[in-house]
Amino acid sequence: MRADPNKRIPVWDRLVRTFHWGLVAAVTIALATGFLETASLLDLHVAAGVLIGVLLALRVVWGFTGTTYARFASFVVSPPTLSRHVAAMLRGTAKPHVGHNPLGGWMILSLMTTLTVLLVTGVAVLGGVLKDGPLAPFASFATGRQLKELHELAAFTLLALIGLHVTGIVVESLRTRESLIVAMLRGWKHRRADAEPAPPRQAMPALAGILSLLVLLSAGVATAHFSRLPVAGLPSQPLDTVYAKECGACHSPHHPSIATAATWASVMRGLDRHFGDNASLDAPVATRLAAYLADNGAEHWDTQASNRLARSAATDPLRITATDGWQRLHRHVDKTVFDRKSVGGRVNCSRCHGDAEAGRFDPRAIHIPEEKQTP
Amino acid sequence: MKPIRTLVLAALFPVVTAAAALAAMSPARQAIFDEYLSAARTAEARFEASTVRGETFFRGQHTGGKVDTPSCTSCHTSDLKKPGKSRAGKDIEPMAASVNSKRYTDAADVAKWLKRNCSDVLGRECTAPEKADVLAYLLSL
Ligand code: HEC
Ligand code: HEC
Repeated sequence: MRADPNKRIPVWDRLVRTFHWGLVAAVTIALATGFLETASLLDLHVAAGVLIGVLLALRVVWGFTGTTYARFASFVVSPPTLSRHVAAMLRGTAKPHVGHNPLGGWMILSLMTTLTVLLVTGVAVLGGVLKDGPLAPFASFATGRQLKELHELAAFTLLALIGLHVTGIVVESLRTRESLIVAMLRGWKHRRADAEPAPPRQAMPALAGILSLLVLLSAGVATAHFSRLPVAGLPSQPLDTVYAKECGACHSPHHPSIATAATWASVMRGLDRHFGDNASLDAPVATRLAAYLADNGAEHWDTQASNRLARSAATDPLRITATDGWQRLHRHVDKTVFDRKSVGGRVNCSRCHGDAEAGRFDPRAIHIPEEKQTP
Repeated sequence: MKPIRTLVLAALFPVVTAAAALAAMSPARQAIFDEYLSAARTAEARFEASTVRGETFFRGQHTGGKVDTPSCTSCHTSDLKKPGKSRAGKDIEPMAASVNSKRYTDAADVAKWLKRNCSDVLGRECTAPEKADVLAYLLSL
């Protein structure tokens, strides 16, 4: 039983619908992985963000080149028009719209703006905190941390907007007795006499294609270029070989960037009583390693580890694992995994952090080893 | 006279086996061992290294050091051809000279670990004869 084609009016073209439902999926993934804040989900979070960015770029281009109701011009109205619509709605005299009604149009703009804020701050957090991506050469850790707050605020704003958006859809669907969700799925609405169609516009798919290609290509090239620039504040040298041998004999060698020069100096002064072990070194070697540690201590870097592990704990000043920062960063890690034979205690950072000895501690390089099966 | 000869032979036996085991040593190991042997002879003129005394010392329970490491085997375990475990949770490569060609080839390393671990297990430095015996034992494995 197909509806009479003459009674249908095409509203949402295929691209708009793909954008809409693609965005629903990508935003759901981004919000879920973001709020869970689990290191292993970061890759997925970033991928969802990239997808949102691509979808937004395509949608903006289509908003200037697409079919009638895809155009921003068809649904973005001036504030006075918006307030007239709201007043009419409150009086119960507002007319149904073929495309988005004025409130809906402003909702689309708010959602797109909030998503853009989320994308920009997200890339800045990735750059400043994790020293990765196109903003890594430009964003300091402090900037990244501050923007993380903004990123979170924007995420809550997005949640609130999504709530309003869904409420608006339900209200408008009831008011016009036509489900907007179904319309967004199949693309058309029923023709009705009281709904005024927007002035028709011809889609320009070729122009849209060229513009989209240009936008995506330049974004891709810029990202690739900036991601490859050297990042100040991120260690790039491998560990000193003597250091790695001497300080990696009993536990995995700590990267110098995870403690301050002052902490290292205290560690080096007490090697004959080193956390219960005698770890004394010949004077020449000790002097050399002390200099290496002082020259590469936390003060010289701007990583998450150098910033957050540097302030030592008053109760146990030589233990990196006693710092407030270390405790906070590992608060979600099950305490028992540190006792696994395959880990050997908190001290062995590189058992879980594949990039610990490079001083990076990227959450995507974490892999907690399984307990060894002893036959 | 016979019992006395047997006794002398019995006393010499470990020395002889040690010498046999040590005979096949690489020049680097030989040089290190010779250094410890001559240091021991400075302390005790007639000193001969004994793998038996070395083993007893290595596997024995000592006092004076840290409570959780009363013996060399606390970390190295009793199977010296297998890896041990440091207190900080890292594998320690096997001690037996025959299965670990890197052992006893760097004089500074040997000195460093004897200094550290004697203090951890006995709470004092090891004597020159103790060191020579232990080395003889580990080199014979
Ligand atoms: C003889 C063995 C040994 C050597 C060699 C050694 N350490 Fe340690 N180290 C330990 C032990 C044991 C601990 C305590 C581990 C624990 O409590 O889990 C420790 C702990 C540490 C810690 C504190 C870890 C924490 O909990 O935050 C630091 C820092 C450290 N070592 C630095 C060094 C440095 C630097 C060197 C080289 C100069 C070095 N270690 C060499 C045995 C050693
Ligand atoms: C048992 C494995 C394990 C050990 C050992 C371990 N970590 Fe971690 N570390 C983790 C896990 C898992 C996370 C991520 C926690 C989360 O996602 O909430 C983490 C997070 C971190 C982070 C933050 C990474 C980020 O950007 O999210 C830093 C920095 C860090 N660890 C440093 C260290 C240092 C320094 C040591 C050694 C002193 C160490 N870790 C030892 C498992 C370990």
